[in-house]
Amino acid sequence: MSLLTTSVGSFPKPPYLTKARTQHSKGELPDEALRALEERATKEWIQFQEDLGIDILVDGEQYRGDMATYFAENLGGCEVSGLVRSYGNRYYKKPLVVGELERRGPITVDWWRWAQGLTKRPLKGMLTGPYTMMDWSFNEHYASREDLALAFAKVLHQEARDLERAGARVIQIDEPALSARSDELELVVKALGVVTRGLTAQTITHTCYGNYDAVYPYFNRLPIDQLDLEMSNSGLALLDRFRREPLKKEIAFGVIDVHSHLVETEEVVRDRIERALEIFPPEKLYIDPDCGLKTRTVEEAEAKLRVMVAATRAVKKERGLR
Amino acid sequence: MVPTTVVGSYPRIGDAPEEQRLRRAIARFEEEKITEAELRDVERSVVKEVIEDQVGAGIELPTDGEVTWYDSQSHFSRHLEGVEVAGLVRYFDTNTYYRQPVVRGPIRWRGPALVDEWRYAASVAPDGVKAVVTGPYTLASLSKADGRPKREVVREFAAAVAQEVRALREAGATRIQVDEPAITRAHDEIGLLKEGVETIASEKGSSWLCLFTFFGDAAGILRDLTSLPIDNLGLDLVQGDATWKDLQRTGSPIPLTLGLVDARNTKRDDPRALAKAALALKGKAPLEESFVSPSNGLEFLPRERAREKLRLVCETAKLLEAGL
Repeated sequence: MSLLTTSVGSFPKPPYLTKARTQHSKGELPDEALRALEERATKEWIQFQEDLGIDILVDGEQYRGDMATYFAENLGGCEVSGLVRSYGNRYYKKPLVVGELERRGPITVDWWRWAQGLTKRPLKGMLTGPYTMMDWSFNEHYASREDLALAFAKVLHQEARDLERAGARVIQIDEPALSARSDELELVVKALGVVTRGLTAQTITHTCYGNYDAVYPYFNRLPIDQLDLEMSNSGLALLDRFRREPLKKEIAFGVIDVHSHLVETEEVVRDRIERALEIFPPEKLYIDPDCGLKTRTVEEAEAKLRVMVAATRAVKKERGLR
Repeated sequence: MVPTTVVGSYPRIGDAPEEQRLRRAIARFEEEKITEAELRDVERSVVKEVIEDQVGAGIELPTDGEVTWYDSQSHFSRHLEGVEVAGLVRYFDTNTYYRQPVVRGPIRWRGPALVDEWRYAASVAPDGVKAVVTGPYTLASLSKADGRPKREVVREFAAAVAQEVRALREAGATRIQVDEPAITRAHDEIGLLKEGVETIASEKGSSWLCLFTFFGDAAGILRDLTSLPIDNLGLDLVQGDATWKDLQRTGSPIPLTLGLVDARNTKRDDPRALAKAALALKGKAPLEESFVSPSNGLEFLPRERAREKLRLVCETAKLLEAGL
């Protein structure tokens, strides 16, 4: 198998779900009614990915708000802050750690099991990594950043083990904050190691929009099987570095800019894949968007994924790859 | 009285629906449902509100909260000739993003970028506001300028920032701050920063010029920074707590802005401990003329926590004053 297609994690929520979430947050919609709509949206996205022929699926995170806050809402010792800005006109709420972190029970497992039941193709288990959880939280309890990162790692390891027991063959641990502080890269490796220790599932770490130059020497040290990288937003700038210092892991290569309304042409995406193939063997190269697509409209996200799959098929056909 | 100030940015929305009107207005503007003039009106009402928050808490030298800035790098750069604004890049370790300036040709200042915003903010602040400009060293460090020597890029950005400073001064700004967070991550490039600041200072006239470094420490370059042609040096003493030792050892011949209150974490600071730490600099720096401030811009906190931090800045300044 070569050039397997996949997605990073989130998909946009359809307008009916966005509206329902707003109503739910005001107390105007009961939990079960919201859950029904989240399930409907998840089914639609899984059906869309199957119809398109994507190889490794995601559930689209229709039941999650922010990727860090979702875990904060489900952990003891965590609260959720007021709104802070991410960029432009986008805002989110952050985890606020006020006590010892405690996993009261599985957080993502039920959703994963239910969504995996909708498809025969592998569905990724999705976790937000311990370093990112720490870096994106306000910390009012732990004495140091390291203490907090390792506390998150401990509960995320429990979650990963439960996902694996439920049958997940692929577990992604997102670390978008990986390059936040170059003097803490050892901590990233250590905390991720706590999460992935003893797992037999394929493990992936996604990261994006950072100073990869500083991080690069650590890529091969990350205790995971596959690195999932945003590449298109940065103009494939890392390719030269990959040429000089080969990556020893699989790579999922972002060929779709998720922050642009513009839908790439098939030609542009084919060119990106061809350039990736100059460096990576096709069996170790996965094709996906730069990042989660949740900031796009449903129509934009669907159009972008269609182009991604069409371009991948065209390249495979031209090269005679299976 | 030990004066108080802020570093620049402030949360532009809060959690109450009324405090989210700018968010709604931008969304409606993007959907072409309101005009640019209507969006500007909302922006200005928020600038007024943000200044009222600061003044109400007791801050003596407020800013406009950078309410109209898309981000700290592209807001100024997009006005320059030779610079394009491109994709999103993570802004230091803040979990926020900026649109990266890409240098395509010689950088030239085309006209004032910040003067109108400053003028409005000054008109609604009872005792004036501080104008804030991103510094040339940081602009050059966070831009993409493939193949161009960094020194050349710093020089060109510096010439542009200097013209902006002159325009601000000519419009009546008497307090101007230049932000240079990037130097905390590359002390060995102090020479580049120095050159940029000297170019800007040549246009400051009689206005008060503050250089603010944040998101890290200035240990080892403190003497270089305090010998620059500036009137005040702003220091992040939280994330840059390694600067304390240097401050104790070498002191400062010029007044400082002491970034004492943690602007990156919601945890309530202890004003007594902060004032005590600052008092240890008595006799080593002109504390009576120095400001107390948060450690960096407050936009990384929810608004209600930012308000609390303003109060903590003022409480710390009072305790420091009492100790002096």
